[in-house]
Amino acid sequence: MSAPRWQVLLLDGGRWLLLVVVALVLNFPVLATLLTSLKTTADISASPPVWLFEPTLEHYRTVLTDPSLDFKRYLVNSTAIALGGTALALALSFPAAYAIVRCRIGGRSVLPLVTNLRAIPLIIFAIPFYLMYQLFGLLDTRTGLALIACIVNLPLALILFVGFLQDLPVELEEAARVDGAGTLSVLRYVVLPLAQPIFLAIAILSFIYAWNEFLFGLILTTKAAVPVTVGATFFITSWGVKWGATAAAMVLSVLPPLLLGLFAYRYLGRVISAGALKG
Amino acid sequence: MSVADAARGADRLRRRAPGLGLSRRGEGILLLAPLVLFLILLLGFPFLANLYYSLSKVTFATIRAPQWLGLQNYAAALADPAFWQAMGFSLRFALIAAGAEVLLGLLLALALEPLIARRRFLLAFLLLPMMISPALMGVMYRLNLNEFVGLIPQYLTFLGLYPNLLGPGWVMTTVVTIEILQWTPFAFLIMLTALQAIPGELLEAARIDGGSWWQRHRYVLLPLLVPALVVTAFIRFIDSFRVFDHIYVLTGGGPGTLTTSVSIHIYKSFFQQELLGQAGAASMILLVLSMGLLWLAMRFVLRGARG
Repeated sequence: MSAPRWQVLLLDGGRWLLLVVVALVLNFPVLATLLTSLKTTADISASPPVWLFEPTLEHYRTVLTDPSLDFKRYLVNSTAIALGGTALALALSFPAAYAIVRCRIGGRSVLPLVTNLRAIPLIIFAIPFYLMYQLFGLLDTRTGLALIACIVNLPLALILFVGFLQDLPVELEEAARVDGAGTLSVLRYVVLPLAQPIFLAIAILSFIYAWNEFLFGLILTTKAAVPVTVGATFFITSWGVKWGATAAAMVLSVLPPLLLGLFAYRYLGRVISAGALKG
Repeated sequence: MSVADAARGADRLRRRAPGLGLSRRGEGILLLAPLVLFLILLLGFPFLANLYYSLSKVTFATIRAPQWLGLQNYAAALADPAFWQAMGFSLRFALIAAGAEVLLGLLLALALEPLIARRRFLLAFLLLPMMISPALMGVMYRLNLNEFVGLIPQYLTFLGLYPNLLGPGWVMTTVVTIEILQWTPFAFLIMLTALQAIPGELLEAARIDGGSWWQRHRYVLLPLLVPALVVTAFIRFIDSFRVFDHIYVLTGGGPGTLTTSVSIHIYKSFFQQELLGQAGAASMILLVLSMGLLWLAMRFVLRGARG
Protein backbone atom coordinates (compact mmCIF):
# COMPACT_ATOMS: atom_id res chain seq x y z
CA MET A 1 0.00 0.00 0.00
CA SER A 2 2.25 2.78 -1.19
CA ALA A 3 1.22 6.38 -1.72
CA PRO A 4 1.02 7.79 -5.25
CA ARG A 5 4.27 9.09 -6.67
CA TRP A 6 3.27 12.76 -6.72
CA GLN A 7 2.37 12.54 -3.04
CA VAL A 8 5.80 11.13 -2.15
CA LEU A 9 7.51 13.88 -4.14
CA LEU A 10 5.42 16.59 -2.49
CA LEU A 11 6.16 15.24 0.97
CA ASP A 12 9.85 15.03 0.18
CA GLY A 13 9.85 18.58 -1.15
CA GLY A 14 8.18 19.75 2.05
CA ARG A 15 10.87 18.04 4.12
CA TRP A 16 13.65 19.69 2.13
CA LEU A 17 12.00 23.08 2.51
CA LEU A 18 11.61 22.61 6.26
CA LEU A 19 15.22 21.49 6.61
CA VAL A 20 16.57 24.50 4.71
CA VAL A 21 14.43 26.96 6.66
CA VAL A 22 15.30 25.41 10.04
CA ALA A 23 19.01 25.26 9.20
CA LEU A 24 18.96 28.93 8.17
CA VAL A 25 17.10 30.06 11.30
CA LEU A 26 19.32 28.02 13.65
CA ASN A 27 22.52 29.20 12.03
CA PHE A 28 21.34 32.77 11.50
CA PRO A 29 23.61 34.40 14.14
CA VAL A 30 26.75 32.93 12.58
CA LEU A 31 25.66 33.64 9.00
CA ALA A 32 24.68 37.23 9.80
CA THR A 33 27.95 37.80 11.67
CA LEU A 34 29.91 36.34 8.76
CA LEU A 35 28.16 38.72 6.35
CA THR A 36 28.84 41.70 8.61
CA SER A 37 32.50 40.77 8.95
CA LEU A 38 32.93 40.89 5.17
CA LYS A 39 31.26 44.28 4.66
CA THR A 40 33.03 47.62 4.62
CA THR A 41 32.30 49.88 7.58
CA ALA A 42 30.01 52.00 5.37
CA ASP A 43 28.04 48.96 4.17
CA ILE A 44 27.58 47.67 7.72
CA SER A 45 25.43 50.61 8.80
CA ALA A 46 23.63 51.03 5.46
CA SER A 47 19.85 51.10 5.81
CA PRO A 48 18.06 49.26 4.33
CA PRO A 49 20.73 46.53 4.60
CA VAL A 50 22.66 45.84 1.42
CA TRP A 51 22.61 42.32 0.05
CA LEU A 52 25.07 42.74 -2.76
CA PHE A 53 28.36 44.18 -1.62
CA GLU A 54 31.99 43.82 -2.42
CA PRO A 55 33.46 41.57 0.27
CA THR A 56 36.51 42.85 2.09
CA LEU A 57 38.96 41.17 4.44
CA GLU A 58 40.09 44.42 6.07
CA HIS A 59 38.39 43.61 9.39
CA TYR A 60 40.19 40.29 9.61
CA ARG A 61 43.45 42.06 8.93
CA THR A 62 42.70 44.58 11.69
CA VAL A 63 41.81 41.89 14.22
CA LEU A 64 44.91 39.82 13.56
CA THR A 65 47.48 42.60 13.20
CA ASP A 66 46.36 45.61 15.26
CA PRO A 67 48.77 45.70 18.22
CA SER A 68 46.18 47.43 20.43
CA LEU A 69 44.03 44.30 20.24
CA ASP A 70 45.21 41.19 22.02
CA PHE A 71 43.13 38.89 19.87
CA LYS A 72 45.87 36.53 18.75
CA ARG A 73 46.82 35.92 22.35
CA TYR A 74 43.21 35.00 23.20
CA LEU A 75 43.24 32.42 20.43
CA VAL A 76 46.53 30.94 21.64
CA ASN A 77 45.26 30.90 25.24
CA SER A 78 42.04 29.12 24.33
CA THR A 79 43.92 26.54 22.28
CA ALA A 80 46.41 25.81 25.06
CA ILE A 81 43.70 25.66 27.73
CA ALA A 82 41.44 23.39 25.70
CA LEU A 83 44.27 21.03 24.72
CA GLY A 84 45.64 20.82 28.27
CA GLY A 85 42.23 20.33 29.87
CA THR A 86 41.26 17.69 27.34
CA ALA A 87 44.49 15.72 27.76
CA LEU A 88 44.16 15.78 31.54
CA ALA A 89 40.50 14.73 31.47
CA LEU A 90 41.31 11.78 29.19
CA ALA A 91 44.32 10.74 31.27
CA LEU A 92 42.32 10.76 34.51
CA SER A 93 39.06 9.28 33.30
CA PHE A 94 40.24 6.38 31.14
CA PRO A 95 42.13 4.39 33.83
CA ALA A 96 39.42 5.27 36.35
CA ALA A 97 36.72 3.94 34.02
CA TYR A 98 38.71 0.72 33.63
CA ALA A 99 38.97 0.35 37.40
CA ILE A 100 35.24 0.97 37.79
CA VAL A 101 34.16 -1.52 35.13
CA ARG A 102 36.75 -4.31 35.36
CA CYS A 103 37.98 -4.09 38.94
CA ARG A 104 34.52 -3.22 40.25
CA ILE A 105 35.75 -0.44 42.46
CA GLY A 106 34.33 3.05 42.87
CA GLY A 107 31.24 2.28 40.84
CA ARG A 108 29.01 3.27 43.73
CA SER A 109 31.02 6.21 45.03
CA VAL A 110 33.28 7.91 42.47
CA LEU A 111 31.07 7.34 39.43
CA PRO A 112 27.87 8.91 40.82
CA LEU A 113 29.88 11.73 42.40
CA VAL A 114 31.46 12.67 39.09
CA THR A 115 28.32 12.24 37.00
CA ASN A 116 26.34 14.40 39.42
CA LEU A 117 28.88 17.16 38.87
CA ARG A 118 27.24 17.67 35.50
CA ALA A 119 23.95 18.65 37.11
CA ILE A 120 25.33 21.17 39.60
CA PRO A 121 25.24 24.89 38.78
CA LEU A 122 28.89 25.75 38.08
CA ILE A 123 28.56 29.10 39.84
CA ILE A 124 28.79 27.15 43.10
CA PHE A 125 32.45 26.45 42.32
CA ALA A 126 33.21 29.90 41.00
CA ILE A 127 33.67 31.55 44.38
CA PRO A 128 35.73 28.81 46.05
CA PHE A 129 37.94 28.56 42.98
CA TYR A 130 38.55 32.27 43.04
CA LEU A 131 39.58 32.01 46.70
CA MET A 132 41.75 28.93 46.14
CA TYR A 133 43.45 30.28 43.01
CA GLN A 134 44.20 33.50 44.78
CA LEU A 135 45.84 31.54 47.56
CA PHE A 136 47.98 29.42 45.21
CA GLY A 137 48.81 32.08 42.63
CA LEU A 138 46.82 30.37 39.89
CA LEU A 139 44.70 33.41 39.05
CA ASP A 140 45.10 34.51 35.43
CA THR A 141 47.13 31.46 34.40
CA ARG A 142 46.46 28.99 31.61
CA THR A 143 47.22 26.12 33.97
CA GLY A 144 44.44 27.30 36.24
CA LEU A 145 41.91 27.38 33.43
CA ALA A 146 43.09 24.05 32.01
CA LEU A 147 42.30 22.47 35.40
CA ILE A 148 38.80 23.94 35.14
CA ALA A 149 38.41 22.66 31.60
CA CYS A 150 39.34 19.22 32.92
CA ILE A 151 36.69 19.38 35.67
CA VAL A 152 34.06 20.50 33.18
CA ASN A 153 34.83 17.54 30.91
CA LEU A 154 35.41 14.77 33.46
CA PRO A 155 31.74 13.75 33.90
CA LEU A 156 31.03 13.15 30.22
CA ALA A 157 34.41 11.49 29.59
CA LEU A 158 33.94 9.10 32.52
CA ILE A 159 30.34 8.22 31.57
CA LEU A 160 31.32 7.54 27.96
CA PHE A 161 34.42 5.46 28.85
CA VAL A 162 32.44 3.43 31.37
CA GLY A 163 29.71 2.82 28.78
CA PHE A 164 32.31 1.79 26.21
CA LEU A 165 34.07 -0.65 28.54
CA GLN A 166 30.80 -2.21 29.68
CA ASP A 167 29.99 -3.01 26.05
CA LEU A 168 33.48 -4.36 25.35
CA PRO A 169 33.64 -8.18 25.58
CA VAL A 170 35.94 -9.17 28.42
CA GLU A 171 37.16 -12.34 26.60
CA LEU A 172 39.82 -10.46 24.63
CA GLU A 173 41.43 -9.17 27.78
CA GLU A 174 41.24 -12.56 29.45
CA ALA A 175 42.97 -14.20 26.54
CA ALA A 176 45.82 -11.71 26.94
CA ARG A 177 45.93 -12.34 30.67
CA VAL A 178 46.17 -16.09 30.13
CA ASP A 179 49.17 -15.32 27.96
CA GLY A 180 50.72 -13.66 30.99
CA ALA A 181 49.95 -9.98 30.40
CA GLY A 182 49.46 -7.74 33.43
CA THR A 183 46.79 -5.09 33.76
CA LEU A 184 48.97 -2.32 32.41
CA SER A 185 49.89 -4.33 29.29
CA VAL A 186 46.24 -5.29 28.83
CA LEU A 187 45.28 -1.62 28.98
CA ARG A 188 48.07 -0.57 26.65
CA TYR A 189 47.94 -3.33 24.03
CA VAL A 190 44.37 -4.65 24.12
CA VAL A 191 41.95 -2.01 25.38
CA LEU A 192 43.59 1.18 24.14
CA PRO A 193 43.71 0.21 20.45
CA LEU A 194 40.06 -0.82 20.58
CA ALA A 195 39.16 2.42 22.34
CA GLN A 196 40.69 4.67 19.68
CA PRO A 197 37.40 5.82 18.08
CA ILE A 198 35.80 6.68 21.42
CA PHE A 199 39.03 8.35 22.56
CA LEU A 200 38.95 10.59 19.51
CA ALA A 201 35.26 11.41 19.91
CA ILE A 202 35.65 12.30 23.58
CA ALA A 203 38.77 14.34 22.84
CA ILE A 204 36.99 16.39 20.17
CA LEU A 205 33.93 16.95 22.32
CA SER A 206 36.08 17.93 25.33
CA PHE A 207 38.06 20.35 23.21
CA ILE A 208 34.84 22.02 22.03
CA TYR A 209 33.39 22.27 25.54
CA ALA A 210 36.66 23.60 26.94
CA TRP A 211 36.95 26.14 24.15
CA ASN A 212 33.40 27.34 24.81
CA GLU A 213 33.77 27.76 28.59
CA PHE A 214 33.06 31.32 29.74
CA LEU A 215 32.13 31.68 33.42
CA PHE A 216 35.49 30.64 34.91
CA GLY A 217 37.41 32.49 32.25
CA LEU A 218 35.53 35.62 33.28
CA ILE A 219 36.16 35.14 36.98
CA LEU A 220 39.68 33.75 37.02
CA THR A 221 41.50 35.74 34.32
CA THR A 222 42.24 39.41 33.83
CA LYS A 223 44.89 39.73 31.13
CA ALA A 224 47.55 37.10 30.52
CA ALA A 225 45.35 33.99 30.27
CA VAL A 226 42.13 35.48 28.83
CA PRO A 227 40.39 32.96 26.51
CA VAL A 228 38.51 34.04 23.35
CA THR A 229 35.07 33.70 24.91
CA VAL A 230 35.98 36.38 27.44
CA GLY A 231 38.19 38.39 25.10
CA ALA A 232 35.29 38.65 22.66
CA THR A 233 33.25 40.59 25.18
CA PHE A 234 36.04 43.18 25.47
CA PHE A 235 35.37 44.18 21.88
CA ILE A 236 31.85 45.27 22.77
CA THR A 237 32.34 46.84 26.16
CA SER A 238 35.34 48.92 25.17
CA TRP A 239 34.72 52.50 24.15
CA GLY A 240 33.93 53.07 20.47
CA VAL A 241 32.74 49.74 19.16
CA LYS A 242 34.22 48.63 15.87
CA TRP A 243 31.45 46.41 14.56
CA GLY A 244 33.33 45.04 11.58
CA ALA A 245 36.32 44.03 13.68
CA THR A 246 34.03 42.57 16.34
CA ALA A 247 32.24 40.48 13.73
CA ALA A 248 35.53 39.24 12.29
CA ALA A 249 36.75 38.33 15.78
CA MET A 250 33.50 36.42 16.42
CA VAL A 251 33.84 34.45 13.22
CA LEU A 252 37.44 33.50 14.04
CA SER A 253 36.46 32.53 17.60
CA VAL A 254 33.63 30.19 16.64
CA LEU A 255 35.50 28.69 13.69
CA PRO A 256 37.58 25.99 15.47
CA PRO A 257 34.63 24.33 17.25
CA LEU A 258 32.42 24.73 14.19
CA LEU A 259 34.93 23.06 11.89
CA LEU A 260 35.49 20.24 14.37
CA GLY A 261 31.74 19.81 14.65
CA LEU A 262 31.27 19.83 10.90
CA PHE A 263 33.90 17.17 10.27
CA ALA A 264 33.17 14.97 13.27
CA TYR A 265 29.38 15.29 13.45
CA ARG A 266 28.86 11.52 13.11
CA TYR A 267 31.14 10.73 16.04
CA LEU A 268 29.86 13.63 18.09
CA GLY A 269 26.20 12.89 17.42
CA ARG A 270 26.76 9.36 18.62
CA VAL A 271 28.64 10.27 21.82
CA ILE A 272 26.33 13.16 22.71
CA SER A 273 23.27 10.96 22.52
CA ALA A 274 25.06 8.09 24.29
CA GLY A 275 26.14 10.50 27.03
CA ALA A 276 22.58 11.73 27.44
CA LEU A 277 20.87 8.36 27.43
CA LYS A 278 23.42 6.56 29.61
CA GLY A 279 24.17 9.31 32.10
CA MET B 1 43.71 -26.30 26.73
CA SER B 2 39.94 -26.46 27.07
CA VAL B 3 37.61 -23.50 27.44
CA ALA B 4 37.09 -24.41 31.08
CA ASP B 5 40.86 -24.37 31.67
CA ALA B 6 41.14 -20.98 30.03
CA ALA B 7 38.34 -19.60 32.11
CA ARG B 8 39.90 -20.97 35.27
CA GLY B 9 43.26 -19.53 34.31
CA ALA B 10 41.73 -16.16 33.60
CA ASP B 11 39.92 -16.32 36.89
CA ARG B 12 43.13 -16.99 38.78
CA LEU B 13 44.91 -14.17 36.99
CA ARG B 14 42.06 -11.82 37.65
CA ARG B 15 42.58 -12.32 41.34
CA ARG B 16 46.34 -12.07 41.26
CA ALA B 17 47.75 -10.27 38.25
CA PRO B 18 51.45 -11.00 37.72
CA GLY B 19 52.28 -7.53 36.39
CA LEU B 20 52.42 -5.49 39.55
CA GLY B 21 52.23 -8.25 42.09
CA LEU B 22 49.00 -6.73 43.34
CA SER B 23 45.49 -8.08 43.66
CA ARG B 24 42.92 -6.98 41.11
CA ARG B 25 41.43 -4.72 43.72
CA GLY B 26 44.78 -3.16 44.49
CA GLU B 27 45.32 -2.41 40.83
CA GLY B 28 41.87 -0.88 40.63
CA ILE B 29 42.72 1.42 43.50
CA LEU B 30 45.94 2.47 41.76
CA LEU B 31 44.10 3.21 38.51
CA LEU B 32 41.40 5.15 40.28
CA ALA B 33 43.75 7.05 42.60
CA PRO B 34 44.73 9.91 40.25
CA LEU B 35 41.10 10.82 39.63
CA VAL B 36 40.18 10.63 43.30
CA LEU B 37 43.21 12.70 44.30
CA PHE B 38 42.32 15.29 41.67
CA LEU B 39 38.74 15.47 42.94
CA ILE B 40 39.79 15.87 46.56
CA LEU B 41 42.28 18.62 45.74
CA LEU B 42 40.18 20.53 43.25
CA LEU B 43 36.69 20.03 44.60
CA GLY B 44 37.10 19.02 48.22
CA PHE B 45 39.33 21.90 49.21
CA PRO B 46 37.27 24.65 47.54
CA PHE B 47 34.13 23.16 49.01
CA LEU B 48 35.53 23.42 52.52
CA ALA B 49 36.89 26.90 51.86
CA ASN B 50 33.50 28.03 50.61
CA LEU B 51 31.77 26.48 53.62
CA TYR B 52 34.11 28.35 55.94
CA TYR B 53 33.71 31.67 54.14
CA SER B 54 29.93 31.30 54.10
CA LEU B 55 30.08 31.14 57.89
CA SER B 56 32.37 34.17 58.18
CA LYS B 57 32.39 37.91 57.99
CA VAL B 58 34.74 38.67 55.12
CA THR B 59 35.46 41.25 52.38
CA PHE B 60 38.07 41.35 49.62
CA ALA B 61 40.26 43.37 52.00
CA THR B 62 40.09 40.76 54.77
CA ILE B 63 40.05 37.74 52.49
CA ARG B 64 43.01 36.13 54.28
CA ALA B 65 41.56 36.79 57.74
CA PRO B 66 37.84 35.97 57.81
CA GLN B 67 36.01 36.37 61.11
CA TRP B 68 33.69 33.62 62.36
CA LEU B 69 30.07 34.66 62.11
CA GLY B 70 27.87 31.57 62.27
CA LEU B 71 24.71 31.26 60.25
CA GLN B 72 24.03 34.97 59.73
CA ASN B 73 25.01 34.86 56.05
CA TYR B 74 22.57 32.05 55.45
CA ALA B 75 19.78 33.98 57.12
CA ALA B 76 20.64 37.05 55.05
CA ALA B 77 20.76 35.07 51.80
CA LEU B 78 17.42 33.38 52.51
CA ALA B 79 15.79 36.68 53.46
CA ASP B 80 17.09 38.43 50.34
CA PRO B 81 14.18 38.96 47.91
CA ALA B 82 16.68 39.31 45.03
CA PHE B 83 17.80 35.70 45.59
CA TRP B 84 14.25 34.37 45.31
CA GLN B 85 13.54 36.62 42.35
CA ALA B 86 16.56 35.16 40.61
CA MET B 87 15.45 31.62 41.51
CA GLY B 88 12.06 32.42 40.02
CA PHE B 89 13.65 33.70 36.83
CA SER B 90 15.87 30.63 36.44
CA LEU B 91 12.95 28.30 37.09
CA ARG B 92 10.70 29.99 34.55
CA PHE B 93 13.50 30.29 32.02
CA ALA B 94 14.45 26.62 32.34
CA LEU B 95 10.88 25.31 32.23
CA ILE B 96 9.94 27.30 29.12
CA ALA B 97 13.22 26.54 27.33
CA ALA B 98 13.27 22.80 28.13
CA GLY B 99 9.59 22.39 27.22
CA ALA B 100 9.91 24.21 23.91
CA GLU B 101 13.17 22.46 23.00
CA VAL B 102 11.78 18.98 23.60
CA LEU B 103 8.57 19.73 21.69
CA LEU B 104 10.37 21.31 18.73
CA GLY B 105 13.05 18.62 18.76
CA LEU B 106 10.41 15.88 18.66
CA LEU B 107 8.45 17.48 15.82
CA LEU B 108 11.59 18.13 13.80
CA ALA B 109 12.84 14.58 14.32
CA LEU B 110 9.50 13.15 13.17
CA ALA B 111 9.39 15.42 10.12
CA LEU B 112 13.02 15.13 9.02
CA GLU B 113 13.92 11.56 9.97
CA PRO B 114 13.13 10.06 6.51
CA LEU B 115 15.30 12.69 4.83
CA ILE B 116 18.23 12.32 7.22
CA ALA B 117 18.07 8.52 7.12
CA ARG B 118 18.98 8.80 3.43
CA ARG B 119 21.36 11.75 3.62
CA ARG B 120 23.16 11.61 6.93
CA PHE B 121 25.39 14.65 6.23
CA LEU B 122 22.36 16.96 6.48
CA LEU B 123 22.46 16.32 10.22
CA ALA B 124 25.70 18.31 10.46
CA PHE B 125 23.99 21.60 9.57
CA LEU B 126 21.36 21.15 12.24
CA LEU B 127 23.90 20.27 14.96
CA LEU B 128 26.17 23.28 14.38
CA PRO B 129 24.53 25.65 16.91
CA MET B 130 25.44 23.21 19.70
CA MET B 131 29.13 23.63 18.92
CA ILE B 132 29.07 27.38 19.51
CA SER B 133 29.99 28.88 22.86
CA PRO B 134 26.84 30.37 24.47
CA ALA B 135 28.91 33.42 25.41
CA LEU B 136 29.96 34.00 21.81
CA MET B 137 26.36 33.36 20.77
CA GLY B 138 25.42 36.20 23.11
CA VAL B 139 28.01 38.53 21.59
CA MET B 140 26.81 37.68 18.08
CA TYR B 141 23.23 38.47 19.05
CA ARG B 142 24.41 41.67 20.62
CA LEU B 143 25.83 42.56 17.23
CA ASN B 144 22.79 41.36 15.29
CA LEU B 145 20.32 43.05 17.65
CA ASN B 146 22.15 46.39 17.71
CA GLU B 147 19.76 49.18 16.71
CA PHE B 148 22.19 50.75 14.25
CA VAL B 149 24.07 47.91 12.60
CA GLY B 150 22.17 44.74 13.60
CA LEU B 151 20.46 42.83 10.81
CA ILE B 152 17.43 41.94 12.95
CA PRO B 153 16.34 45.53 13.78
CA GLN B 154 17.22 46.62 10.24
CA TYR B 155 14.79 44.11 8.78
CA LEU B 156 12.14 44.79 11.40
CA THR B 157 12.39 48.51 10.61
CA PHE B 158 12.04 47.63 6.96
CA LEU B 159 8.77 45.90 7.86
CA GLY B 160 7.65 48.92 9.84
CA LEU B 161 8.23 47.31 13.26
CA TYR B 162 10.27 48.99 15.98
CA PRO B 163 10.30 46.67 19.00
CA ASN B 164 13.16 47.15 21.46
CA LEU B 165 14.04 43.47 21.79
CA LEU B 166 16.33 44.13 24.78
CA GLY B 167 13.84 46.48 26.50
CA PRO B 168 11.73 45.45 29.50
CA GLY B 169 8.80 44.28 27.38
CA TRP B 170 10.74 41.91 25.16
CA VAL B 171 13.94 40.93 26.94
CA MET B 172 12.64 37.72 28.55
CA THR B 173 11.29 36.52 25.19
CA THR B 174 14.61 37.38 23.55
CA VAL B 175 16.86 35.51 25.96
CA VAL B 176 14.58 32.46 26.05
CA THR B 177 14.35 32.40 22.26
CA ILE B 178 18.14 32.47 21.95
CA GLU B 179 18.41 29.54 24.38
CA ILE B 180 15.76 27.57 22.48
CA LEU B 181 17.38 28.24 19.09
CA GLN B 182 20.75 27.09 20.37
CA TRP B 183 19.64 23.90 22.13
CA THR B 184 16.71 22.57 20.11
CA PRO B 185 19.36 20.74 18.06
CA PHE B 186 20.30 18.76 21.19
CA ALA B 187 16.70 17.64 21.75
CA PHE B 188 16.39 16.95 18.04
CA LEU B 189 19.49 14.74 18.07
CA ILE B 190 18.34 12.65 21.04
CA MET B 191 14.84 12.29 19.58
CA LEU B 192 16.28 11.28 16.23
CA THR B 193 18.52 8.66 17.86
CA ALA B 194 15.60 7.29 19.86
CA LEU B 195 13.38 7.29 16.78
CA GLN B 196 15.92 5.40 14.69
CA ALA B 197 16.31 2.79 17.43
CA ILE B 198 12.65 1.81 17.12
CA PRO B 199 12.32 -1.23 14.87
CA GLY B 200 10.44 -0.43 11.64
CA GLU B 201 8.39 -3.63 11.92
CA LEU B 202 6.43 -2.17 14.84
CA LEU B 203 5.06 0.69 12.75
CA GLU B 204 4.59 -1.61 9.79
CA ALA B 205 2.50 -3.97 11.94
CA ALA B 206 0.38 -1.06 13.16
CA ARG B 207 -0.13 0.05 9.57
CA ILE B 208 -1.19 -3.44 8.46
CA ASP B 209 -3.64 -3.56 11.37
CA GLY B 210 -5.24 -0.49 9.84
CA GLY B 211 -3.94 2.17 12.23
CA SER B 212 -4.20 5.72 10.92
CA TRP B 213 -1.20 8.07 10.84
CA TRP B 214 -2.32 9.68 14.09
CA GLN B 215 -3.00 6.35 15.84
CA ARG B 216 0.37 4.95 14.80
CA HIS B 217 2.18 7.95 16.20
CA ARG B 218 0.07 8.41 19.29
CA TYR B 219 -0.20 4.80 20.46
CA VAL B 220 2.90 3.11 19.05
CA LEU B 221 5.63 5.70 18.61
CA LEU B 222 5.00 8.15 21.43
CA PRO B 223 5.02 5.61 24.30
CA LEU B 224 8.35 4.28 23.00
CA LEU B 225 9.80 7.79 22.92
CA VAL B 226 8.71 8.79 26.43
CA PRO B 227 11.94 7.68 28.19
CA ALA B 228 14.08 9.72 25.79
CA LEU B 229 11.69 12.67 26.10
CA VAL B 230 11.94 12.66 29.89
CA VAL B 231 15.73 12.35 29.93
CA THR B 232 16.14 15.14 27.37
CA ALA B 233 13.77 17.46 29.19
CA PHE B 234 15.62 16.80 32.45
CA ILE B 235 19.08 17.44 30.98
CA ARG B 236 17.90 20.62 29.28
CA PHE B 237 16.17 21.80 32.45
CA ILE B 238 19.24 21.51 34.69
CA ASP B 239 21.43 23.06 32.00
CA SER B 240 19.11 26.01 31.46
CA PHE B 241 18.52 26.49 35.17
CA ARG B 242 22.15 27.45 35.69
CA VAL B 243 22.19 29.79 32.67
CA PHE B 244 24.83 32.51 32.80
CA ASP B 245 26.83 33.05 29.63
CA HIS B 246 24.61 34.46 26.91
CA ILE B 247 22.39 36.46 29.26
CA TYR B 248 25.36 38.00 31.05
CA VAL B 249 26.94 39.03 27.76
CA LEU B 250 23.70 40.29 26.25
CA THR B 251 21.95 42.08 29.11
CA GLY B 252 24.18 41.76 32.18
CA GLY B 253 21.07 40.57 34.00
CA GLY B 254 19.08 43.70 33.19
CA PRO B 255 17.31 45.91 32.45
CA GLY B 256 17.08 46.26 36.22
CA THR B 257 17.09 42.67 37.42
CA LEU B 258 14.62 41.38 34.84
CA THR B 259 16.95 38.74 33.44
CA THR B 260 19.07 38.02 36.52
CA SER B 261 19.37 34.24 36.83
CA VAL B 262 20.59 32.56 40.04
CA SER B 263 24.07 32.23 38.59
CA ILE B 264 24.18 35.91 37.65
CA HIS B 265 22.78 36.89 41.06
CA ILE B 266 25.49 35.00 42.95
CA TYR B 267 28.19 36.28 40.62
CA LYS B 268 27.09 39.87 41.13
CA SER B 269 26.75 39.67 44.90
CA PHE B 270 30.29 38.29 45.11
CA PHE B 271 32.22 40.30 42.56
CA GLN B 272 30.26 43.52 42.31
CA GLN B 273 28.54 44.00 45.67
CA GLU B 274 31.39 42.30 47.57
CA LEU B 275 28.98 40.33 49.74
CA LEU B 276 31.47 37.47 49.87
CA GLY B 277 30.01 35.57 52.79
CA GLN B 278 26.41 35.98 51.69
CA ALA B 279 27.21 34.94 48.10
CA GLY B 280 29.00 31.88 49.48
CA ALA B 281 25.96 31.05 51.60
CA ALA B 282 23.65 31.51 48.59
CA SER B 283 25.78 29.12 46.56
CA MET B 284 25.69 26.52 49.36
CA ILE B 285 21.89 26.82 49.47
CA LEU B 286 21.79 26.37 45.71
CA LEU B 287 24.03 23.30 46.00
CA VAL B 288 21.73 21.69 48.57
CA LEU B 289 18.64 22.51 46.50
CA SER B 290 20.12 21.07 43.31
CA MET B 291 21.36 17.92 45.04
CA GLY B 292 17.89 17.45 46.49
CA LEU B 293 16.28 17.94 43.10
CA LEU B 294 18.75 15.56 41.51
CA TRP B 295 18.07 12.93 44.14
CA LEU B 296 14.32 13.22 43.62
CA ALA B 297 14.75 13.05 39.86
CA MET B 298 16.99 9.96 40.04
CA ARG B 299 14.65 8.27 42.42
CA PHE B 300 11.35 8.88 40.71
CA VAL B 301 11.41 10.39 37.26
CA LEU B 302 14.45 8.94 35.54
CA ARG B 303 14.19 5.47 37.01
CA GLY B 304 10.52 5.31 36.08
CA ALA B 305 11.27 6.53 32.59
CA ARG B 306 13.84 3.83 32.04
CA GLY B 307 11.46 1.15 33.27
